[in-house]
Amino acid sequence: MENAETSSLAGLRARGSAIDPGAVTVVLLLLGAAIFLLIGCLKSTNFAQYTIQGLALGSVYGSLALALVLVYRATHVINFAQGELAMFTTYIAYDLGLHGLSYWEAFAATLAIAFVIGTLLQVTVIRPVQHRSVIAVVIVTVGLFILIDGVVNWIWGGDFKSMKPPFGNGSFEIGGVTILHLYVGMMAVVLASVVLVWALFRFTKLGLGMRAAALRPAAAALVGVRVDSMLAIGWGLAALLGAVAGLMAEPSQIFLSPTFMQPILVYAFAAAVLGGLESPAGALVGGLLIGVTLTLIVGYVPKIGAELQVPFVFGVILLILLVKPTGLFGRREVRRV
Amino acid sequence: MTRQIPALASLLAVAAALSVLPFILSDYNIYLAAQVGIFFIAVLGLNILTGYTGQISIGHGAFMAIGGYTTAVLSRDHGTNLIVTMLIAFAICFVVGLLVGLPALRLSGVYLALVTFALAVSVPYLPLQYSTFLGGSVGVSVQPSQVPSNLWVYTAAWACSAILFVLAWVILRGRVGRAFRAVRDSEIAAVASGVELPVYKTLAFGISAAYAGVAGSLLVLANGSAQGSEFDILLSLQILIGAAVAGLGSLWGILVGAAFVGLLPHISASVPVIGKIANRHIDVVFGAAVILIMLLLPEGFAGLLTRIRRLAARA
Amino acid sequence: MPVNRRKLVGLFLGLLITAAAAGSAAASHNGTPGVSKHKIVIGGTFPYTGPAALYKTIPSAEQAYYAYVNKKYGGVRHRKIQDITLDDQYNPGETPGLVKQLVEQKHVFAIVGSLGTAPGLATWGYLNKRHVPQVLLATGDAYWGNCVHRKCPAAGATTPRPWTMGWQPDYPGEAKLYGKYILAHKKNAKIGVLYQDDAYGKNYLNGLKNGLGSHQDEIIDAQSYSVTDPGPVIQAHVGHIAASGADVFVIFATPSAAITALATEGHISGWNPLTIDNNVSNNRIFMQIAANNGANLNGVLSTSYTLSPTANANMAGVKLAKKIIHQYAPGGVGSLDAQFAAGDGNLVYGLAVGWTFVDALKHAGKNPTRASLMRALRHMNEKNNPFIFPGMVVKTSKKRTFPMEQLIFLKWAGGAGGDWKTQGGVVFSGH
Repeated sequence: MENAETSSLAGLRARGSAIDPGAVTVVLLLLGAAIFLLIGCLKSTNFAQYTIQGLALGSVYGSLALALVLVYRATHVINFAQGELAMFTTYIAYDLGLHGLSYWEAFAATLAIAFVIGTLLQVTVIRPVQHRSVIAVVIVTVGLFILIDGVVNWIWGGDFKSMKPPFGNGSFEIGGVTILHLYVGMMAVVLASVVLVWALFRFTKLGLGMRAAALRPAAAALVGVRVDSMLAIGWGLAALLGAVAGLMAEPSQIFLSPTFMQPILVYAFAAAVLGGLESPAGALVGGLLIGVTLTLIVGYVPKIGAELQVPFVFGVILLILLVKPTGLFGRREVRRV
Repeated sequence: MTRQIPALASLLAVAAALSVLPFILSDYNIYLAAQVGIFFIAVLGLNILTGYTGQISIGHGAFMAIGGYTTAVLSRDHGTNLIVTMLIAFAICFVVGLLVGLPALRLSGVYLALVTFALAVSVPYLPLQYSTFLGGSVGVSVQPSQVPSNLWVYTAAWACSAILFVLAWVILRGRVGRAFRAVRDSEIAAVASGVELPVYKTLAFGISAAYAGVAGSLLVLANGSAQGSEFDILLSLQILIGAAVAGLGSLWGILVGAAFVGLLPHISASVPVIGKIANRHIDVVFGAAVILIMLLLPEGFAGLLTRIRRLAARA
Repeated sequence: MPVNRRKLVGLFLGLLITAAAAGSAAASHNGTPGVSKHKIVIGGTFPYTGPAALYKTIPSAEQAYYAYVNKKYGGVRHRKIQDITLDDQYNPGETPGLVKQLVEQKHVFAIVGSLGTAPGLATWGYLNKRHVPQVLLATGDAYWGNCVHRKCPAAGATTPRPWTMGWQPDYPGEAKLYGKYILAHKKNAKIGVLYQDDAYGKNYLNGLKNGLGSHQDEIIDAQSYSVTDPGPVIQAHVGHIAASGADVFVIFATPSAAITALATEGHISGWNPLTIDNNVSNNRIFMQIAANNGANLNGVLSTSYTLSPTANANMAGVKLAKKIIHQYAPGGVGSLDAQFAAGDGNLVYGLAVGWTFVDALKHAGKNPTRASLMRALRHMNEKNNPFIFPGMVVKTSKKRTFPMEQLIFLKWAGGAGGDWKTQGGVVFSGH
């Protein structure tokens, strides 16, 4: 079955010509949004607090969105189980904490474990069906969703667990605006993880191999890149970023429960689609935008109400896919007949 | 004609079995058998959409919700005859399906799956926001005088299954069915040979949603009320899995798919091995089963049947 | 050919419909379901998983009590009590199916102690129609007492519900006391309320308004939330209340939402309202989780009717409770000791309910029937339940359909490691 894909080659050719008007519009829009937020923050402490909360939550959505994009770029699969995988690794961190590890020891160990699980999943379950129909792959990731959910309920039960807050309950006070240590911590950790992964891609031979395997698998194989392994590592890194997202999302939930990543997965989908499914930078920017928009809307528009957040985001996803399916940073689609 | 005999014979066997069951099953097991009938209809509907036109929907729970709430609200507010509410649910969901099918035209493959997934996750939140009309987290109850017995639901579910199965069979045999299959196999080729894509794609969505709507009505009647949490993402995933186990693109495996999805959650602990795990950790069995089926038997039960038939033909 | 096929299809449909119309498969039973020579089987639905799973120690305590009675006394009139509990995840969509299972498959004598207002409302029609006792429910909704002799169409009861009975002091009565307290202690209060958007939460809110009487307009912000809401949504509601300028914050929420609300309140600097927590969420363990996540507990107000394992450790009832929980915890000897020591009030609550059930069963005759059990439950005069505060009674009669109508006020002291301290004596919380 034919897939509608972004053809990087065609995109390169298209870019070769004059300045892309679409890109300029996007940059201007983002600049406008940034200025709007800045002015709002300066004028109202509530607005500032909402914005900071939105940026913190948005960084989590962006991290999960980045995981989705990584997987999609490498294997052209949308991993519907990415959120549940992130939830599973958060439970592992919880469990390690019960066994005596300090929060950050558990954090590090969990990231490593997540990486391993991600690669194993790609090798055992995704690779055999990767080249079959889109439906087959979707169903496999859906099966993973359910399986992981079931395993978590089996091992830890479905009741609510409590994890020790990693950044404590304190806050900074700047100009009348209260900034929770938690929010600063969330953004810092996500930023650090994203920078590390980016550095891996940009500066190491492994990263180069991975980029080649995603871009031109046939050519990469010819120069000796083990394409299959690269794809598996891609899944591993995605699982790692998902683990970061889960761990940083948990403190603001107060409780750890098997369903806590489900709404966040929808927000991450929106972020990935907003940014463009093949754009890592887009995923992060998309995440921040979604986070801030949601917090501001819930804070200021009582009609939308806290309960309508997920339906609202669904509407956003639908709108983006109908109006500009390639997202803010994506390129035009080319369909191969 | 010789090829049709096994098919008709098995259909009759199933019908005969279903007629006899109410005499031998306990009331609770009739309730379970009704659940299988409900999933039969939903899986049948999804198969028409995904199996025959290749449009992936992970959001059919949303259509079930619309159908279910329609029945509940009509019953609560007007005491409408239950069968009439089911017909209304069918009609409403058909229209909603057409409406959903329109933007779906612009989305392909995984994008459609993504959007329908988000839809499925969103739906349980809507009754919470509009709690006066839709009952909030408590939901909408069917009027107490109208709550049907398990036997009624069983009969209605299987009668509808039969009618809708025949309807699907008739549609898929004819020109519409050929158009659907052309759309699935190659959209560009279909257009090239004169198939009007938008018409058939949205039609498939409409029919599929209507089926899910009826299933939703029956589910609400079986439980006595409509609640947002009844129609969560897991329901949508279950329907998809049922369709995959049944075998997309063919009608023969649907009973197996429906039984798999409808009965597995209720297997008592007394069934050896699977029962122990399934009783409390049904999701593990489901998830593992569907992954295995996709890896080993990607064509589902229908595919298995085809393989057996081919072997038999060779022999 | 096509004609034959059509005929066959018609035959197929006809068979189906005829058979179903002629069929009837209801199993019939001789004697009272659930009662045999040596056993009485009861059942209930509880949230072992899901958003209300913090209550899961309640059924454990009830089962421990029955095990204790079975071991120590051989049961009631030589019939051992078996309690089958199923997990409905506090989801009223799940409960009907499970209750059907208990009644039609497990043939239980009665539904005892089931938790949750919404789950109860989802099943009371079915149970009353079949004349199955649905009693000692772990929910304080006023419907359980108000709809015994009359119809309650607002709650979906087009006929009275005599087979349903609560146990704990009802929510409107409790909330009325809070309203009166606010009037007495804070002039011109600005009240913000967080309440669950179902019958449970609305029961409480209406009771509060009742208690405030003509001062109802002091409620300046009432935020409803849904039990399935994730943490951040509840935080948004609390933020809204804080932004409204409320100086009284009333929490009518189930445990996880209440804990989130308390923790969020702690994070909002400069906001120190008089905080009132409904007694369904004032378990010491819940309070500690809230404190660990930033809540300021000192001065928070609530009420109680069952003894606290920690604050009332010296009372005879608590000592007995400790022994029973230690010896008979369903998970094994000692498995719930840590919970008890940390102050899990659910455990004492469960024992208290079990005590009342056994008390009623003893008065249900030599060969209890469902009707005789209901009669016993409707004529109770229990003055010596060891697990509730001294001076409190569990009493029912034709006119008094609410078994418990007394509460005692509590105020938290001692910070994160502290506990509830009783304020004053037993007060009347009834109608």
